[in-house]
Amino acid sequence: MDFELNEDQQAILEAIDRLLSQHAGPARAIELNRQGLYDDELHSALDDAGFSTIATDLATADGPAGLEAALLAEAIARAGGVVASAAQILVAPTIREEAIEGPIALCTVDHLATPVPIRFGAHARTLMVLGIDEVLIIPLTRGEMEPVRSSFGYPMGRLANAKRSVELRATGERLGLQAAQAMTNWWRLSLAVEAVGTMEAALQHTVAYVKQRRQFGRAIGSFQAIQHRLSLCAIQVEASRWLAREAAYHGAQTEAVAAAAAFALHAADQIFTETHQMSGAIGFTCEFDLHVWSMRLLALRQELKGVSGARRALVEARWGALVCANA
Amino acid sequence: MEFDWSQDDIQHRRDIREFLQQELPGNWEEMSQHGPGGDSQAAFSRTFCGRMAEKGWLTQHWPNAYGGRDCEPWRHSIVGEEMWAVGEPRGSQYMNVNWIGPAIMNYGSAAQKQFHLPKISAGQVLWCQGFSEPEAGSDLAALRTRAETIDDHYVINGSKIWTSYCNHADFIFLLVRTDPHSSRQRGISVLLVPMDTPGIDVHEIPSVVGERYFHEVFFSNVTVPTSVLLGEEHNGWEVVSHALQFERIGAARYARAAVTLDKLAAVASERGMLEDPIIVDRLGEARALCEAARVLVYKVIDIRAKDRPPTADTQLARVLSTTCDNAIGRLALEIFGPESLEYASFADTNFRLAMTAGIAVGATEVQLNLIASRFLDLPKD
Repeated sequence: MDFELNEDQQAILEAIDRLLSQHAGPARAIELNRQGLYDDELHSALDDAGFSTIATDLATADGPAGLEAALLAEAIARAGGVVASAAQILVAPTIREEAIEGPIALCTVDHLATPVPIRFGAHARTLMVLGIDEVLIIPLTRGEMEPVRSSFGYPMGRLANAKRSVELRATGERLGLQAAQAMTNWWRLSLAVEAVGTMEAALQHTVAYVKQRRQFGRAIGSFQAIQHRLSLCAIQVEASRWLAREAAYHGAQTEAVAAAAAFALHAADQIFTETHQMSGAIGFTCEFDLHVWSMRLLALRQELKGVSGARRALVEARWGALVCANA
Repeated sequence: MEFDWSQDDIQHRRDIREFLQQELPGNWEEMSQHGPGGDSQAAFSRTFCGRMAEKGWLTQHWPNAYGGRDCEPWRHSIVGEEMWAVGEPRGSQYMNVNWIGPAIMNYGSAAQKQFHLPKISAGQVLWCQGFSEPEAGSDLAALRTRAETIDDHYVINGSKIWTSYCNHADFIFLLVRTDPHSSRQRGISVLLVPMDTPGIDVHEIPSVVGERYFHEVFFSNVTVPTSVLLGEEHNGWEVVSHALQFERIGAARYARAAVTLDKLAAVASERGMLEDPIIVDRLGEARALCEAARVLVYKVIDIRAKDRPPTADTQLARVLSTTCDNAIGRLALEIFGPESLEYASFADTNFRLAMTAGIAVGATEVQLNLIASRFLDLPKD
């Protein structure tokens, strides 16, 4: 058991932070979001630096390098990167050995029949679709997906024509039950990991703000009413971080992943609420960076049935026999 | 960064579980319903800890020189988890091995070490801690119990309150003010006082938590030799701060909560309650909380294992452990319904043992203050 980064992990994080300092950050996210664009430049930089394939490149006999991939996805989320990095780095390599062309968007099969906004949907080259007992990997052609305007921090898109869903499903490569289970776990883990990086950035931004914002003659961060709530937020973020990293290290086992996602996605709501409350009216404006992270937290809670989906998965994984007995 | 237990640790956990199966009596559940301070549990702890000592497990994380085996804190954390999971058969002796013994190692005289440490490592002695006073709860530095030096003795007058385990304790780890002109943290000392010293009176404070849970301890001209002083005179604040720096996570509350939760899930299943999505959601929430508390405690153990100075991670872990304990205590009431209203029922016992978590070993608000200043670096004013 060791909670500190080893030398290799340290080097990976230093390298990604260097890259992100050049190609990401809240100002860039705000500009891209304003235009509804995907960050092709950052996506290419991640590919060129070999980060997109780190899970398979560093894989061992025990499986993909989930922890290293999770550390990268956490860092990219923290930097507000407008890229489908978690799907690319964490999910895809654990489903199929051969590379899947990115950007990759993730959705469930019902989102084809009843189209809803999907993160990175309008810019994806590949749609990975999770069914009950299969995964479909569907190459997308231009115009198949339409952009959807959204306030929730990610470029969104949905299937332009719901009638095409049957045809689309037929064109996809089908992977079986094992892939469906793996995709569920790694996707759910990626939500926890992205939530961690995003929550951390939102919280850091708010802590910095309450230290300098003065009202009633003092920094608002000196009021105990603020301090206690921020302390509670810090606990949520740190616990989410270590649950997610531990689950990634152990190869995204169902129970550990469900616990990590259940905790982190619940925490995400608290972090959203508190960071906005403490940032006041300026927190809602586009000139203030908070929304880059805060709005995304609510988007992450929409996938895989969010908190309740993760909690149910956790109960089924831990007390499966008991749940089945009642089914 | 890696999150594996060593093969030795995995085997050790198996050994401990097997040991518990052999050693715990058939009526253990009934015996442990009043918690580590209960009469039967306190009496049992003397034989049980003796057996653990024979195995070399009671103080295995202590240095060889003091009867330990120089094991890593991780090994001791396994013992803590397994003991708390079954209701802590070490009774109050978990405090002895966690921090009272180590405090004596760090600050004690040769004679104190020679006298106290073998007793603790043999599992033959019970301690309590004399910290809180009627006017010094969360604000411990306001304590007023005084010890006046007369020749080569201290004469102690004052009182301690909310003291657990003192009805069975052989010694009290006592915080007193030795400098009458001092205030706050200065002028405080630690005395290791035998509980059978004349002038010490223990009174139970009846409470809804359980029988013999809280006590008030009165000191009337209690005269002890100055050789009971631990560390330097007037420097007790440092002694106790050092001793307790990791103790806020010393009780593996999440481990007990997790076992309770497994039982609650089984009961919910038997009663068809798992068809209710709200109950499923609550169980999932509670399980995630147990895991979150566990991993934050592990983070603190990692810091300790590397012999690094303590950080506010201890407070983060403490608050979440408290949250977890309380959440599962309340969920037990919900799942058992009106049955939980009977004293000593499963839900009642778990709820009562959980309900003090946010106050014991420093109120949650104090922990949050420390997180604000030490972890978030928020300004004082």
